[in-house]
Amino acid sequence: MKILHYYHDIMNLYGEYANVLALQDMLTRAGEEVVLEKKTIGDSVKLQDYEFIYIGSGTERNQKVVLEDFRLHAGELRSFIESGKPVLMTGNSFEMLGKTLTDCSGKTYSGLGLMDFTVTEQNKTRNTTDAILSADFLEKPLVGFINKCSTISGVTNPLFSVKMGFGNQTGYRHEGVRMKNLFGTHLTGPVLMKNPEFLTYITSLLTKNVPAVNPLQQNGYEITLRELTKRMNEAE
Amino acid sequence: MKVFLTILICKLLRFVGGLVGKGSSLPGQVALRLCPDILSRVKLPPYIIAVTGSNGKTSTVEMIAHILQKNGKSVSWNREGSNQIEGVTTMVLGSATLGGRVKSDILLIESDERFARYTFRYIKPTHYVITNLYRDQLTRNGHPEWVYDALLDSIYDETQLILNADDPLVSCFAQGRKNVVYFGADKLSSDTQTLDSVYNDGAYCPVCKKPMTYTTYHYNHIGHYACTSCGYHRHDTAYTITAVDLAAGTMEIDGRYTISLALKSLYNIYNILSAYTVARIVGIDGGKVASDMNDYVLKNGRVITFTLGNRKGTLLTSKHENSISYDQSIRVASAYEQGCDVMFIVDAVSRKYFTSDVSWLWDIDFEMLNNDNIHEIILAGKYVNDLALRFQYSGIPQDKIKSFEEIENAVDYMNNDRSEYIYAITCFSDKGKFLAKVKEDA
Repeated sequence: MKILHYYHDIMNLYGEYANVLALQDMLTRAGEEVVLEKKTIGDSVKLQDYEFIYIGSGTERNQKVVLEDFRLHAGELRSFIESGKPVLMTGNSFEMLGKTLTDCSGKTYSGLGLMDFTVTEQNKTRNTTDAILSADFLEKPLVGFINKCSTISGVTNPLFSVKMGFGNQTGYRHEGVRMKNLFGTHLTGPVLMKNPEFLTYITSLLTKNVPAVNPLQQNGYEITLRELTKRMNEAE
Repeated sequence: MKVFLTILICKLLRFVGGLVGKGSSLPGQVALRLCPDILSRVKLPPYIIAVTGSNGKTSTVEMIAHILQKNGKSVSWNREGSNQIEGVTTMVLGSATLGGRVKSDILLIESDERFARYTFRYIKPTHYVITNLYRDQLTRNGHPEWVYDALLDSIYDETQLILNADDPLVSCFAQGRKNVVYFGADKLSSDTQTLDSVYNDGAYCPVCKKPMTYTTYHYNHIGHYACTSCGYHRHDTAYTITAVDLAAGTMEIDGRYTISLALKSLYNIYNILSAYTVARIVGIDGGKVASDMNDYVLKNGRVITFTLGNRKGTLLTSKHENSISYDQSIRVASAYEQGCDVMFIVDAVSRKYFTSDVSWLWDIDFEMLNNDNIHEIILAGKYVNDLALRFQYSGIPQDKIKSFEEIENAVDYMNNDRSEYIYAITCFSDKGKFLAKVKEDA
């Protein structure tokens, strides 16, 4: 089974390569033979060769550079998603899937057009927060961190509900996007390493024999959830 | 009259604060409220030297102050923890006469990167050192390019920039400017031909975003780089580390001056070089600078030797949320040929703000510890599970690793009959909990 860490050297700001390590490990323990491939701008890539695609966060400038390359794969990506294969995009990478992105200078780039949302960036305030997000397909919420300078409007298919943190737009309690088994979220970093239930869920889309989660992941998750919940309750 | 009163009140608050051991930002905060443009109303000395960057600012500023004072200059400077506008205001007004004239020859300011644009709105530096821009406290700073953009607003045409030539992003500040001095290192014996890091922030040109290549790496993405497309490349340096021997603990500057190192790390040599560069620009003789820096021990308490029972060790204060800072400490430990045990503590991610984010652990090159010099690895703190998980992916034999959620229990465990030297690596936010359990050497 081949899994792809796409744009690994340019969209990888917050230790995000660990997402594919976590998944590779689960799949290997499930008895799958996993080949992890790292590809980047200019590499020849056929998305349909893979069973799973991951893309992480980049700087605003790097995201625009990647966008020009990723655009060449828009059709392939649509088929990939429509076939039900899983995709995970963290941080600002999923912003490329929408209609348009407007940067802080007002310049507008067209997105891949897989969804109807639009993205607007500013360069005055970095919006950062620890986050607790819940999903209707998981029992427990996710924990993590959001680090962005954009607002996303027109999302009709959000992924998470916000218990703590930011939604797609100021004041919105919905975060990220979902399209079949594509999961796009502004959570950054090793989201799968940190959230064993989400890791298990994605693993289950790829293999039948889902193994038990690593106890260190489970304990690490629970401690962070405890700390964030305490913090959230103090703030209220 | 307003200036007089504001300075008086600031001085009084500073005096009282000093008596009760309170921080240095409150007097400046009050002064700024009384007179928001107070900094533009004081008469400043001819040299206003600013230092910013992700890592090394505090040490560099301390070294600059040390050299300048040794050479008969009077220096007003801000110490650790007061590098935002309030702390700078406290320092400037504290060293001013009631008439509003700063008495020293040189005003030396360490500035936080994100707040430099506010601090330097009124105090325009004559010389501005930028040490480096790394992944540092990204839960507040966003990312290095975000910090770069924020710093741009703090730079004025009349300021001379003093830049680290070996950092590709920092060197970008020179774009379109004439008055720039570069410092950096020649190819060194400790260099590598390939990147030794978990990630590569030098993979793409900061100017045109096409791939970059390196002829040599000093550490992480610091080295001799060139863009494959637009021609952007590492600039020649005016002040240069020409050789280094970390094992022997010496560095050579400009092919002429040998300095013996109290702290044998690449970090330290860059800090010394940037301090040397400033001192030379101010007009101090190179030989004088070199002798002032010989065996210089930083006084900011970041490197502390200690005793634990029968065992000896060194605490290397590193910065959480700053993988390069950790990499530097890890490099020191992994080079300890007599064999050592290494301890890591992640308990509170920050002492100044709340976050539970530990994604930065994945950016640290713990893989460097996978060698025979490292005998045992002790992990501790609230986030010990995340640390231990990171180590599961390091390739290091897991039987070398011991984990404790309580720091106390970890230190109690280490108080044993092992003969290995101990390196304890953690952050300001967590080091107190460790030091409380050991005996600091005088």
